[in-house]
Amino acid sequence: MSTATVTPVTAVTPKARRSTSSRITLGVTIAAIVVLIIGTLTTDGFYSLANGKAILNAATIVGIIAIGMTYVVISGNLFSLSVGVTAAVCAMTFLWALNYGMVAAIVITLAFGAIVIGLQGLLVGTTGANPIMVTIGAGALQEAVATWVSAGVSVYPPEGANYAWLAAPLFGIPFPVYVFIAMTIIGELVLKRSRFGRSLFLMGESPRAGRASGLSIATLTTGAFVVLGLCTAAAGILIGAFNQSGTLTATGTLTVDSISAVLVGGTAVIGGRGSVLRTAIGALVVSAIEDLLLIRGFSTPVQLLVLGLIVSAVVVLSQINSGRSNR
Amino acid sequence: MMIRRTERSGIGEARWPFFLTLLLAVVVVAVPPIFGHAASLFTFYNALQSTACLGLIALGLGLTMIVGEFDLSVASTYALGGMLAVKFGGGSPIVGLLIGVGACVIFGLVQGFIVARWGINSMAITLGGSLVALGITGTLGDNKSQSYENYDVGVLLNNPIVGLFSLRSLTAIAMFALVFLLMNLTKLGRGMRATGGGRRASRTAGVRVDAIITGSFGASAGLAALGGVLQSFGTATATSNPGLFPLIFAVTACLLGGVGLTGGRGGAWGIACGSLTLALLSEFFSTLAAAQYVSSLVTGSMLILVTVGASPLIIRTWRESRARRTTAVPVPSAI
Repeated sequence: MSTATVTPVTAVTPKARRSTSSRITLGVTIAAIVVLIIGTLTTDGFYSLANGKAILNAATIVGIIAIGMTYVVISGNLFSLSVGVTAAVCAMTFLWALNYGMVAAIVITLAFGAIVIGLQGLLVGTTGANPIMVTIGAGALQEAVATWVSAGVSVYPPEGANYAWLAAPLFGIPFPVYVFIAMTIIGELVLKRSRFGRSLFLMGESPRAGRASGLSIATLTTGAFVVLGLCTAAAGILIGAFNQSGTLTATGTLTVDSISAVLVGGTAVIGGRGSVLRTAIGALVVSAIEDLLLIRGFSTPVQLLVLGLIVSAVVVLSQINSGRSNR
Repeated sequence: MMIRRTERSGIGEARWPFFLTLLLAVVVVAVPPIFGHAASLFTFYNALQSTACLGLIALGLGLTMIVGEFDLSVASTYALGGMLAVKFGGGSPIVGLLIGVGACVIFGLVQGFIVARWGINSMAITLGGSLVALGITGTLGDNKSQSYENYDVGVLLNNPIVGLFSLRSLTAIAMFALVFLLMNLTKLGRGMRATGGGRRASRTAGVRVDAIITGSFGASAGLAALGGVLQSFGTATATSNPGLFPLIFAVTACLLGGVGLTGGRGGAWGIACGSLTLALLSEFFSTLAAAQYVSSLVTGSMLILVTVGASPLIIRTWRESRARRTTAVPVPSAI
């Protein structure tokens, strides 16, 4: 499998890496500006406060999950293909757990997300199993168990539960936006300033070098997945609060949107390079593009088509640019 | 880097997958009566019908896995092939079949070329390709299922032959046989396994690695599309979004069939056994009238189990234990 055989062909110096990183940041920023200009010039209603809020709202949920996904991608474990299902299950869990109060519901949901996705990381980290296949299988399992437990019906919060503030505006800006901003700052700081974050970069760049320098691949992989689990659970809580009901079909294209945000943000798909801040911009770009297509009357399949073309182009350009290939 | 020892994918190599299929067949016959249900010849006919469509996806995916890559877009090309066939096959099913399969082969070749030319991670590039194919399918189908009015084609494809087969399943069996023969009687199979075993060394040894990788992706998309065409014509409906189930089925069938996750290992016979095993498992739950989620639960668990079973740690442990057993054989001492 290519994931196992990817080897650096040429040594990438720190200076070259910084230069590549700057080019990607510049590229993402230019892409965002181009989307905004095209949208404004060609589409009525795109450049408006209401639409700006709509884009920000959509980017919030995608972005929160994408923050966690950035950790997994940087660690060299590709991506998870089941975060959409987990977010939906977390939304159901949160609404059910409101029976025990708001704080308990948040703690239970975060713990649930961290455990469910963390276990997948543990499996991947300890055995070296393929992360894509493990996460696809885990998605099918979660879907089956959730259908079994919920008897296939929607989950509703208990009468009188006070949770609506989680989706309501605060000083004119929706509350989830504050969560997104806070998580972006914390995510970037942990990734760039902590030992855990720096170890993830090293492991993603070269697992062999990481192992030789005493890093525990299993612990780090599990840690990256736990971060993804916490982010997915946080998104699930906000989805549950916004929809006021929980179903398995509530998250639509969330999985591919979050992966797209990470890749558009310039995080290298083969690991070792990336940034939470750029992922956040990537989430905004993805949401702005989807919003633009929606306003212009294009259906969901066209949005998928455009997203697919963008993801393919970004992957090709990013890997050619990085000078790493498995040829 | 040395080329790993490549193996032929003869029937003997895939004996464990074959035994597993036989075991499942016995379970399907023996267990349901305990719970007051019974399997019949129709149960096996149904299993072959499923294998005809989903098994072809597994065969396509397996080819990319043997060369050390992974085509995540097989479920989407499966849907695209079926949708194209229904949309353009109204007048003639042959035209629909050719457009459905032909367009997907070109799509697969483009993906394969990108992977081979620039050494791009195939999972990432085929994720993008998967979205593109799904987008085209949904746009063609107006984001909903499309019916195929030529019901005669479905009747012809599904009509039982000696109670067990149909034109649909015989077509799939013929494709499996063709791939089996190509991989075992021509240089192609050796070249594919060498490519999966050690790419740079294979290139040095004169194997046309880029052409093999590109061709594998073309074949993968074409076979998945053929599965989609057979499914759409057979059920007179083309779906816009098949979900992840076809991919889960295909990956699990490949791993059960002995296709290695690191490339260089596996073949059509093993994939056929893996596909039939899963199809029989599904029929087993249908016979027991179990809820749909039970089948998903088992399929998801099986995918995780076989993925972990094929992981580097388990393979290393197994090889070490086998080596220990070999060296532990007592040698008669000379008097």
